[in-house]
Amino acid sequence: MSVAADPALAADGRRERRFFLSLSLPALFIVGLAAILPLLWIVRQSFLTTAGQYSVGNYEKVLSSGLTWSALATTLELSLGTLVVCIILGIPLALALASTRPRVANVLMAFVMLPLWTSILVRTYGWLVLLRRDGLINAALTGSGLTAEPLPLVYNFTGTLIGMVHYMLPLFLLPVYAAMRDIDTNLTRAAASMGATLGQVIRTVILPLSAGGIFSGSILVFIYTIGFFITPAVLGGGKVNPLSIRIERTLSTFQDWGSASVLGILLLVLMALIAVMFLTARRLMAHNKMGAAHA
Amino acid sequence: MSWLPRISLAVIAVSAALPVYAQTVTITTAGGDYGNAIKEAMWAPAAKELGYEVREETQSDGLAALKMQVTSGAVTTDIIHLSSPEGAQAAAQSLLEPLDYKIIDPKSVPAGAKSDYCYPFDSYGTVMSWNTKALGDNPPKSWAEFWDVAKFPNRRALRANAQDLIEIALLSDGVAPADVYSVLSTPEGLQRAIKRIEAIKPNVSVWWTSGAQSAQLLKDGEADLVVTWNGRAQTVKADGGAVDYTFKGSVIGTDCLGVPKGAQNKDAAMKLIAAMTQPARVAKLTDFIAYGPVNPAAYEGGLIPKDRLKTLATAPENAGTSVFSNADWWLKNGEAAQKAFDEMISR
Repeated sequence: MSVAADPALAADGRRERRFFLSLSLPALFIVGLAAILPLLWIVRQSFLTTAGQYSVGNYEKVLSSGLTWSALATTLELSLGTLVVCIILGIPLALALASTRPRVANVLMAFVMLPLWTSILVRTYGWLVLLRRDGLINAALTGSGLTAEPLPLVYNFTGTLIGMVHYMLPLFLLPVYAAMRDIDTNLTRAAASMGATLGQVIRTVILPLSAGGIFSGSILVFIYTIGFFITPAVLGGGKVNPLSIRIERTLSTFQDWGSASVLGILLLVLMALIAVMFLTARRLMAHNKMGAAHA
Repeated sequence: MSWLPRISLAVIAVSAALPVYAQTVTITTAGGDYGNAIKEAMWAPAAKELGYEVREETQSDGLAALKMQVTSGAVTTDIIHLSSPEGAQAAAQSLLEPLDYKIIDPKSVPAGAKSDYCYPFDSYGTVMSWNTKALGDNPPKSWAEFWDVAKFPNRRALRANAQDLIEIALLSDGVAPADVYSVLSTPEGLQRAIKRIEAIKPNVSVWWTSGAQSAQLLKDGEADLVVTWNGRAQTVKADGGAVDYTFKGSVIGTDCLGVPKGAQNKDAAMKLIAAMTQPARVAKLTDFIAYGPVNPAAYEGGLIPKDRLKTLATAPENAGTSVFSNADWWLKNGEAAQKAFDEMISR
């Protein structure tokens, strides 16, 4: 507290903070221009009828439609499904990466990151080539006699999920891997020397210590996937219709900007809700851990 | 002032005072190959015959351009080329002059395609197409058979859009082509069509959203029975794909010509529309593009080579089995129909 007591130093600190704040002004300006203004426009649009009057009619229309709620359910199913598969595939992968020598891990990491550098459109159509009835996977399956009939791998929920997991897995992996990498190896050694099995080490040391990374990865997956459009549009075969596709349809077949804006706002509210949920859960967990440590 | 500007000023004054001998008409099309075909086959020879001077403008979104011209009061075009649904929309927004059927022959349009504001002249169809490897020489002979999943358990692909599909559903359910819209105009009619589509939903492997996608599905054999636009099926077939299609029972869409509200040369525009859509000229259009004439007279007297008839939606052999898509019905009921359709998909 001696710093705060010295008035000259305190003034210096304030000046420095102000300087750094002013440096962020251009970025704030761009964000305001590119994100906040269009958002305000969408909010305004959502209250405008086709005749140009202000009303809540669009909200009544959208919220009373069963289509909205089934699209919402599909959106959540896709996001949750992607998250679950990412956790099942991603945590063991991160464990493996974190426990190999750094040089090998870097090479493996480059492979994991490779899909991130490819356009989502290319990747999605790539899956189409692999998954369709006469695609590579089905040709191998029927050719080897493993299945008599080609499996329905694409133009449905399964295909959409495969495409989405492929996109999200690297993004999930990054924070999880970073958290696991940061764990002090002395802790795992200590646990092992005290007679913990590998499973116990993972359960009691590694997972709790990388919980923060797993949380960050999960939020990322959820928030990203809620707005996915291309993947369900191409791989869903018209049967998987989340909110994003509902919005496109409302615009392209009905030219109904008001209702589409309401759907967009619904999507935004959903994202905010989920972010708040995750952050609250994280705070509670951190709190519990501290409580446990004190006890 | 030196002598040169004086003379040029005089020349300008004299030429402005001279009466305009050639009637000028401005026509707006989408341009490209299609726009060029319309020019070569239709308006260029018609303008020559009438002694008109025609100025051409191209607009990729005709309806938007029309709306802008009419609402801003600066109407520069006299004839505009639209799709018939756009024409109906434009008419509903009072953007078009009523057609002068004293100048244009009303008998040149079959009853189902008639419009008071936008003159339909050429056509394309939503057709049944199939994979010839999977179905050989024995494809479904009608929409009723297309719906028969016991006889044809093949995978199907339909457009994720109520348009044309609800008409087809009623045809498959035994409704006569001439009665489709009167049945659809009752609340039970729309429900009947939706229920009918729902009945084959388990056999629909893809609900496609773009014409290119429907062509790909046909080509890859992802689906054996595909409802698509004739142009797409024809392209796959012409590329050597194992694909065939039929216009029997197709739903026919049309493109049309309208005169913008407040057009400067309204009467000349009506005369040009009448002249450019003479049977020989719309028949000639098929030299360039497989869009069949709406005017039945174009199919008489061998104006169109016999082997081309198979590729045209309005060919006489299909008459009586096909339905002209009713743009006015869709304008009024499109949203309700699409909503019912989307709900059916999400069930």
